[in-house]
Amino acid sequence: MSSEQDHLKDTDTEARFEFKKDQNAAVKSDKGLTEEIIRMISDDKDEPDWMLERRLRALEQYQNMPMPTDWPGQPDLTELDIEEIVPYIRPDVDKREGVDDWTELPDEIKDTFDKLGIPEAEKNALSGVGAQYESEVVYQNMQEQWEEKGVIFCNMDKAVQDHPELLKEHFMTTCVPPSDNKFAALHGAVWSGGSFVYVPEDVTVEMPVQAYFRMNSEGMGQFEHTLIIAEKGSEVHYIEGCSAPKYGSHNLHSGGVEVFVGEDAHVQYSTVQNWSKNTFNLNTKRAICEENGTMEWVSGSMGSKATMLYPCTILKGRGATDTHITIAFAGEGQNIDTGAKVYHNAPNTSSTIESKSISKDGGRTNYRGLVHIADGAENSSTAVECDALMFDNESTSDTMPYMEIEESKVDVAHEATVGKIGDEDIFYLQSRGLDDDDAKKMIVAGFIEPITEELPIEYAVELNRLIELEMEGSLG
Amino acid sequence: MSAGTQVHANLTDAQVREISDNLGEPEWLTETRLEALDALDDLDMPDVIRTPGRDWTNLHELDFESLVDPLNAAENKDQVGPDEADVLPWAEAVQEHEDLLKEHFGSIIDPQENYLTALSTALFSTGTVIYVPEGVDAEDVTIRTEQNSRSLFNYTLVVTEESSSVTILERQSTGAKAEEQYYSGIVEVAAGENSYVQYGSLQNLSEEAYNFTLKRGVADTYATIDWIEGNLGTQLTKTEVSTLLEGDSSETQIVGAFYGHNDQHFDLDVKVWHRAEHTTADLVTRGVTDDVARSVYEGVQDVGRDAWDTSSYQRENTLMLSDESEADASPKLIINNHDTEASHSATVGQIDAEDLLYMTSRGVDPRAARNMLVEGFFVPVLEEVDVDELREDLEGLIAERLRERE
Repeated sequence: MSSEQDHLKDTDTEARFEFKKDQNAAVKSDKGLTEEIIRMISDDKDEPDWMLERRLRALEQYQNMPMPTDWPGQPDLTELDIEEIVPYIRPDVDKREGVDDWTELPDEIKDTFDKLGIPEAEKNALSGVGAQYESEVVYQNMQEQWEEKGVIFCNMDKAVQDHPELLKEHFMTTCVPPSDNKFAALHGAVWSGGSFVYVPEDVTVEMPVQAYFRMNSEGMGQFEHTLIIAEKGSEVHYIEGCSAPKYGSHNLHSGGVEVFVGEDAHVQYSTVQNWSKNTFNLNTKRAICEENGTMEWVSGSMGSKATMLYPCTILKGRGATDTHITIAFAGEGQNIDTGAKVYHNAPNTSSTIESKSISKDGGRTNYRGLVHIADGAENSSTAVECDALMFDNESTSDTMPYMEIEESKVDVAHEATVGKIGDEDIFYLQSRGLDDDDAKKMIVAGFIEPITEELPIEYAVELNRLIELEMEGSLG
Repeated sequence: MSAGTQVHANLTDAQVREISDNLGEPEWLTETRLEALDALDDLDMPDVIRTPGRDWTNLHELDFESLVDPLNAAENKDQVGPDEADVLPWAEAVQEHEDLLKEHFGSIIDPQENYLTALSTALFSTGTVIYVPEGVDAEDVTIRTEQNSRSLFNYTLVVTEESSSVTILERQSTGAKAEEQYYSGIVEVAAGENSYVQYGSLQNLSEEAYNFTLKRGVADTYATIDWIEGNLGTQLTKTEVSTLLEGDSSETQIVGAFYGHNDQHFDLDVKVWHRAEHTTADLVTRGVTDDVARSVYEGVQDVGRDAWDTSSYQRENTLMLSDESEADASPKLIINNHDTEASHSATVGQIDAEDLLYMTSRGVDPRAARNMLVEGFFVPVLEEVDVDELREDLEGLIAERLRERE
C-alpha cells in the first residue's frame, strides 16, 4: 500500500462512520408521505411541471401497491414505518447546485467528508466527485479534461434543469419505471439529489467518478437518483459510497439507479454501502445494455438493518455482457437480502454472477437471484456462483436462485456452496505463528479477494477495514 | 387460493362416509377424512414458485370440480411382496393393523397441508400398507396401479421396524383412457432406527392426465431413505419428494429422472430437512424437455439449527432438445447451522454440438447419434438406481420416447 492511502489505514474506521453532526437544515419536510410534501419538494427544487407530474403519478402508484411480504425468507419490514420517515432535508448551504471547492462548504459538512476521506481520495485517484448530504448534493466537481470532451457529471436536480430532453427520455421511463415495485414508486415520488453522468460517443473516462452519500439526521429517508448514460463506444467507472451514523429510530434509504449502456460501451458501477444498522436499504438498480455493451456491477453490502437489493441488467442487444460481483456481510441483527437479476433478451449475450456472503453473530445473508433467458436469446450463456461463509451457529445463510430458461441453445450453470471456516486452515495459519483472530481475518480477506481486486485501491482498503472492524473481538 | 374458489359443490359428507364404510374403516379415520373435506374451504393450493410477472405452475386453472368423481373410482392393482413382510391392500390393513395406522397415518404429511392433500385424504379409495418387522429384509415389493376411471386417489404407508430393509417399486399407468383424468397419490414413509427404505416410482400415466403426488419420509437414527422418482406421463404433474432427517446420522438420496415432450408440464420439488447431527443428503435430478414441454424444478436443502456436521449436496441438470421448450430451476439452500458442508448446482443446456460432430464424423447417423447422447445424459442418474428392474424400465421408456421423436 502506498503512502497516499495512509489516511485510510490510520483513521479509526469506526470513528469515521459513526460520528454525528448537528447541521442546520434550510428546509425540512414533515414526516410521512402526502401530495403536499411531494409538491413542497418539487417546489423547493423549482422543478418543471413534467417532473412534478411524474412524482405525483409515482405517489399514486406507491399508494396502490402492497408492501412485499410473502417472499420466502424475506427481511422483516414491519418495523419500517414510512409515515415516521422524513423524506426531504435540504441542508443549509449557499449554492443549491453544490460547490466545487470543499472549503466553501459549512464546516460541519466539510468535517464530515474530511473524516470520510472523500476530498483526499478525489485528489489522488478520481476524475470527479459528487457528495450528497441528506437530500442534496453539496459538492460537485469534475476534472476539466473530461468536461472538455463533453462528459457531464452533475447532480440530478441540476440535470433536470439543464438537460431536460435527456432526462425526459431516460428518467424512470424504460429502465426503472415507478410501477416496477413499491419502493421504486416511493423513490419516484420523493427522489432528491444523486448523480447524472453522461459520457459522449467514444469517450473513455479513465479515472473513476465517485459519488458519496451521507445520511446524517435521525429518522430520515434518503432517495438519491443516479442516471448514467454511456453513449456508443464510451467507457466509465462510477463509484458510490454510502454511510450514516447510528440512531435509535429507523432510517430509510431507497435509491434508484438507471444505467444506459450504449452499443460497445462499458460501464462499471461499484458500491460500498455501509449504512448504519438501523437503516432499511431498499433500492432498485438496473442497467439496459445495447449491442456488445458491457455492464459490470461490483458491490459490497456491509451495513443496514435490512437490505433488499438485486441489481439487474437487461441484456437487450446482441452480444451484450454482464458481470456481477457482490459481497454481503451480515452481523448481529442484520438481514442482507441481496443478489442479482439478469434478463438475456438477445442472442449471444453472456453473464456471470459471483456472489460471496459472510454471516456471523446471528446475521442473516441471502442470495436471491433471477436469470431469465428469453426465447430467441440463442447462444447465450450464464454462470452463477455463490459461496457463503458462516462463523457461528446463530447465523443463517440462504441461497435462492431462480432460473427461467426459454431457449435451448444456451449454457446455464449455477453453483453454490456453504461452509464454515475450515479448522485446518486456521490450524495451518496458527502453526505459522498467527493468532486465532488474525488467522480468521486472513481467511476472510482471501475469501473476498475477487471483490477487492475489482475495486480501486481506496475502496479495497476501505472494504477490508470495514470487514476487519465487523469482525473485531467477536470471533467465535 | 383461499375463500373457496375451488370448493366442490358436488362433494358431500355422505360420499366420504360411503368411501370410508366400503373400506371398513374405524370411526377415527372417517372423522379424519371428514375434517379434511371440511377444511377444503380454507386451504390453499400447494406452493408454486412465483417470480415477478409469473407463476411457474398454475394449478388454479384446473377444474377440479369436473375432474373429481369420487364414487366411480376404478383401477387394476397388484400388491405383491415377500412373505416376511406385510404388503396389504388398504381394506385389509384397516382390519389387521389399525394400531399402526393410528400411529402413522397423517403423521408425516399433514392431511390438511394444502388443498390437494386434503382432497386426497377425504377421497382416497385405494392404498397399500407395507409393514416390515424388525430385522427383516424385504426385497421386491411391487405395486402396480392402473387407473381406469376419471379420478383415482391412492394412499401408501411404509413402516419399517429397527434394522429392517425394504425395496419397493411402484408404477402408475393408465388403463382405460378418458379425456381428462386426475391421479393423486400420497406416500408416507416411517423408517425406523437403522432401517433402510428404497422407494422407486415410475409414473407413466396417460398424457391427458393430471397428477398430484406427495411422497415424504421421516428417517430415524441411522436410517436411510432412498427415493427414485421417474416421471414420463401426464400433461401436468406436480410432485414433491422429500425426506425429514430426524435421527442422528440418518441419510437420504433422492434420484430423479424426467422426460417431457409434446406439451407436458412437470413441476418437481425435491426437499430435504436436516434436523439432526451427522445427517447426509444427496439430491440428483436429470431431465429432458422437448417440443413445447416445460420443466419446473425446485430443490430445497434446509439445514436446521441443531443439525451439526451436515453434508448436503444437490445437482440438477436439464437438457433442452427443442427451442420451444422451457426449463426453469430454483435450487435453494437454507442454512442455519454453520457446521455444514452444502452445495447445489444446476445447469441447462442443449446437446453438445462438438459431441454430435464427433459422432457423426465417425459415421454415426445424426439421429442415432443424438439419441445416444440423450441416453448418455441420463446415465449418471440411472447409475444411481440400483434396482435393476426400475432402471431397465426407465431406460426402455426413454429409448422408446426418443425413437418416436421422428
